[in-house]
Amino acid sequence: MLPAAAEPAAGDSWGMLACLCTVLWHLPAVPALNRTGDPGPGPSIQKTYDLTRYLEHQLRSLAGTYLNYLGPPFNEPDFNPPRLGAETLPRATVNLDVWQNLSDKLRLTQNYEAYSHLLCYLRGLNRQAATAELRRSLAHFCTSLQGLLGSIAGVMAALGYPLPQPLPGTEPTWSPDPAHSDFLQKMDDFWLLKELQTWLWRSAKDFNRLKKKMQPPAAAVTLRLEAHGF
Amino acid sequence: MGARSSGAESMEPRALLLTQKPEPMALFAFFQTILLLVSLSLRTCQSEVLSEPLPLTPESLDVSINSAQRCLHLQWRVHSLAYHQELKMVFQIEISRINTSNVIWVDYYSTTVKWNQVLHWSWESELPLECATHFVRIRSRVDDARVPEPRFWSNWSSWKEVNEQNSLGHKASSVFPVDKLVEEGSNVTICYISRSHQNNVSCYLDGVRMHVEQLDPNVSAFHVNNVAFVRETGTNIFCEMDPKDDAGTVLFVSKVLEEPKDFSCETQDFKTLHCTWDPGSDTSLVRKQPYQSYTLFESFSGEKRLCEHKNWCDWQIAQDSQEMYNFTLVAENYLRKRSVNILFNLTHRVRPMTPKVFFKNISATNATMTWRVHSTGNHRTLLCQIELHGEGKVIQQHNASIKVNGEYLLSELEPDTQYMARVHCGDANHFWKWSEWSGENFTTLEAAPSEAPDVWRDVKSELGNRTVTLFWKPLSKSHANGKIRFYNVIVENLDKPSELEPVPIPAPANHTKLALDQCSYRIHVTANNSVGTSPASVIVISGDPGNQVEEERVNVTADGFSLSWKPQSGDVTGYVVEWCDRPQDGSCDLQWENLGPNTTSTVISSDAFRPGVRYNFRIYGISTKRIAYLLEQKTGYSQELAPLVNPQVVMSNLTSHSFTLSWKDYPTETQRSFIRGYHVYLKPKEGQCHPGFEKAALSDNSVCCKYKIDKPEQKTFVVENLQPESIYEFFVTPFTSVGEGPLDAFTKVTTPDEHSHLLIRIILPTVFCVVLIMIVCYLNSQWMKEKCYPDIPDPYKSSVLSLIKSKENPHLTIMSVKDCIPDAIEVINKPEGSKIQFSGTRNSLTETEITKPAYLYLLPAEKNYSGPGPCICFENFTYNQAASNSGSCGHVPVPPTAPSQRGLLTSLENLLKALEKNYMNSQGEIPAGETTLNYVSQLASPMSGDKDSLPTDPPVPALCSEYKMQMAIPLGLASPPLSENSSVSSVTLLDQGDHHH
Repeated sequence: MLPAAAEPAAGDSWGMLACLCTVLWHLPAVPALNRTGDPGPGPSIQKTYDLTRYLEHQLRSLAGTYLNYLGPPFNEPDFNPPRLGAETLPRATVNLDVWQNLSDKLRLTQNYEAYSHLLCYLRGLNRQAATAELRRSLAHFCTSLQGLLGSIAGVMAALGYPLPQPLPGTEPTWSPDPAHSDFLQKMDDFWLLKELQTWLWRSAKDFNRLKKKMQPPAAAVTLRLEAHGF
Repeated sequence: MGARSSGAESMEPRALLLTQKPEPMALFAFFQTILLLVSLSLRTCQSEVLSEPLPLTPESLDVSINSAQRCLHLQWRVHSLAYHQELKMVFQIEISRINTSNVIWVDYYSTTVKWNQVLHWSWESELPLECATHFVRIRSRVDDARVPEPRFWSNWSSWKEVNEQNSLGHKASSVFPVDKLVEEGSNVTICYISRSHQNNVSCYLDGVRMHVEQLDPNVSAFHVNNVAFVRETGTNIFCEMDPKDDAGTVLFVSKVLEEPKDFSCETQDFKTLHCTWDPGSDTSLVRKQPYQSYTLFESFSGEKRLCEHKNWCDWQIAQDSQEMYNFTLVAENYLRKRSVNILFNLTHRVRPMTPKVFFKNISATNATMTWRVHSTGNHRTLLCQIELHGEGKVIQQHNASIKVNGEYLLSELEPDTQYMARVHCGDANHFWKWSEWSGENFTTLEAAPSEAPDVWRDVKSELGNRTVTLFWKPLSKSHANGKIRFYNVIVENLDKPSELEPVPIPAPANHTKLALDQCSYRIHVTANNSVGTSPASVIVISGDPGNQVEEERVNVTADGFSLSWKPQSGDVTGYVVEWCDRPQDGSCDLQWENLGPNTTSTVISSDAFRPGVRYNFRIYGISTKRIAYLLEQKTGYSQELAPLVNPQVVMSNLTSHSFTLSWKDYPTETQRSFIRGYHVYLKPKEGQCHPGFEKAALSDNSVCCKYKIDKPEQKTFVVENLQPESIYEFFVTPFTSVGEGPLDAFTKVTTPDEHSHLLIRIILPTVFCVVLIMIVCYLNSQWMKEKCYPDIPDPYKSSVLSLIKSKENPHLTIMSVKDCIPDAIEVINKPEGSKIQFSGTRNSLTETEITKPAYLYLLPAEKNYSGPGPCICFENFTYNQAASNSGSCGHVPVPPTAPSQRGLLTSLENLLKALEKNYMNSQGEIPAGETTLNYVSQLASPMSGDKDSLPTDPPVPALCSEYKMQMAIPLGLASPPLSENSSVSSVTLLDQGDHHH
């Protein structure tokens, strides 16, 4: 350590103090900290992120109830059936490199499309549920999921991305395939819930990534610039 | 597994390989005629041919499959029959599974076969047909009586293969049956088919692993007997194996459809029949079977109605006034159909509509109830039932017959009481069911209180005044007849007529205080509600202070305190027993009970009574003048409890043989039970108890001596016969009927010594006297010394003098100091604290303080001295006791400032010479009258201490020579005769060098 650095002159201390005071004086002028302006997409991304975490938690309870309703082996923790009839479900799993290189627009579009489909399927599931309590829980979850969809749409709108338009006549439905056995139908239900859970987990990652990306690092930069100006 | 056939009857018993019931076959009645015709034609035309078996082989065998029903349908023909020929035949059918050699079913089917007839036969497989390939073949034999024996079986048809596994397509594996719907209690066989060879197959039925049987390398199966309903989404069957190739199916187990119970129909308005039933179990299954349907069918009209609800259905009554109805209720699901039937006349199933109720003319004791029943058509007579409820119970029940409107007077009601009245009606002619109840609440009006309040008093006299507290009990609801608003108290002086003024006391107060003088008073108390006043309750407070009675103990029973008293003769109108419910906390809470004049006992019980609390009961007699006289006083406990505290014992009068214990402050009245006495415990000294004491074991198992005091009023005890100087431990506890007080710590007491008092009486005065004497002696020590042991004895008092006088020289006398004329005397005061050390010997003498130093300095006497006496004598002022006692070491005080050393030595030499001379002379005769310088010690006795140094008798000293010489001689000059053994004279030589000031 240099002696000059170890023992700063008295004049240096006064200079640092003056610098700090100036910085504090100029803080209200820093654009990133000025809350009176447009907050940008940050808060809505945060809300969307929070919503995905909340839905993740909510789904854990709902899935437990529904899988018990289907009975063993679907409610067994290590049950991992082949994904036979669930090919139409949007897949949440994606190669890590691909996921990392997704553009914001594509990332948000994939989320929006996935939840649009999953919501339709979930409503179909609700229609077939036998018990009133289960129907209530599913309906409540559908409402929450609808909220998430709206939240994603809000983020996309804030970032200036257009919403993906569904092709006419391709509205996905979750109705029992007559060729499907009931066991396969149950497997589809199982996969729907599992995929939904994976999507919510992925969305939390997606929005966390977006949140970090959108966080304005301007505060620190501006402070430094102000200090230099001094 | 079973077989069914159509168009023929099974004639021979079938060989069963698996448990299955065969289906019955049809019978053709006309086969006998045909047989006869055939027989005749054969005999006439082809008699040689009939003797040989006919070649009637089943042909065109076709097998079809119904997978859902697990059925194989067989159809074939017998082509060899002639036109219009009918022949009774038997067909043998064999079914093999997996391979042809594995025959699992053999069946015989008998029928009459016509020309060109297609024959049918069905078989239901236990195993789903998808699970394995099946093979079927058939052969026949004529079984017609017209054909003579022997009859031979035809050849077997070729095996027909039935392979439903082809329907699997390209799917890796499957479990069969798929989505099978069965009823609870059915038996089901499940198979698991994989495309590859199976290893380690595991199949689970709703999570429970099943025992799997491998049918072939690719097929496994298991049986489930008596399947149970698990859930409406079905029972999941899941199979897995190595390599991983999972598959599953759902077995839908439906509950068994029950017959509807309690099916009935009724009408209220002759327009609609309302039919209800209990549907029983729900047999619905999600995505498989809906809720069972209910259909209502009426046979007379032939109409049918599918019911929308599970347990009721409405049937519109036709306008043509159909009277009889025959209903059939059919419950149906995919597996079963159940029905129940009722036949009835419509007029017998009338349930009136719910009446509408009103009340009018409500008074304190009556109310009129009216109701109306809406039309049930053509004004039928109705029977109605009226119920009056009070406090949740049915008080009155009445019946009434009405057409449409009803009215009933409800009487005997209580004032100011809420009631509920309700009514329901039924058809009077053909009673079917009561209508719904219809009721309303109503409250009767208030009336004046019907009874006087129960009043009692508590009188306290203080300083000539009396404080009377009047208590009254609130009137019961039945007597108050409304809400009591206030109580009126009127005090009437019986001794001095005065104006009576009622004092209103607002409810809900239950007492008031009156300050009265010594006069007699009559007090009237009434209760008032909004309607009127109750009869007055009268009580007289007498000027007489009343009598005192002795307190007795009361008996306690399980019901309470059982009190009885002596019947009073004369004018007693009743008795009152009073007590405090809470005497323990001082609030008393006075209670009383009124009793009739003929009553002489009662049992007092109260929820407030607590164990261990003493309750006092006072029994008063009430005279005709309403004056209360105290008759008896009783006390007792509802339950006695052992005392909680022991007395504080004070020990007094302690002597060596006894001490007294007293506990006069111990209150017996406030204890938790009657104190029957006390136990005095004394710990035995040597295992022996004192007289009167007995051995007893304490609750801590220690052994003690116990003395029992039977009188609770005795609160002192003298412990006697004790040993002096001994430690005793005592403990006093009360005893009651339920035990003693708590075991406390023993108190220790030590008895004093027997003679200690004597010693104190003697020793103390003695010591006092000695001390007194000592003080006196000390104060008068100088006087005593002079009197008893003076330093210089008074020669006049010496006995020596008389002795000398009597024996030797009667002329000897004592020289008086006054007679001596000193030659020269120099007295020098020596300062205090000087130290004189003698180095002549090893011993050193240190004189710390010489308080009165007076030094004698000897000088030669003047020659011309002419004194009255013959010798020179010095009074020895400087005699020092310490120095004289030091044995060989003499001490001659030396003046601090000697005239001169030389002078001193000179004088010493002179003195020594004179001494030697004198000594020599003393050995011989001392000439009388010769003047000699002598120092004579007045202490020395002439006969003592001289034996050693003077073995010979010393000569009688001359004048003044009875005193021994005491001289100061230098140490080095000591002559041999003056050895250290010599005590003739004490000579001390002054060593100058060792002399310190």
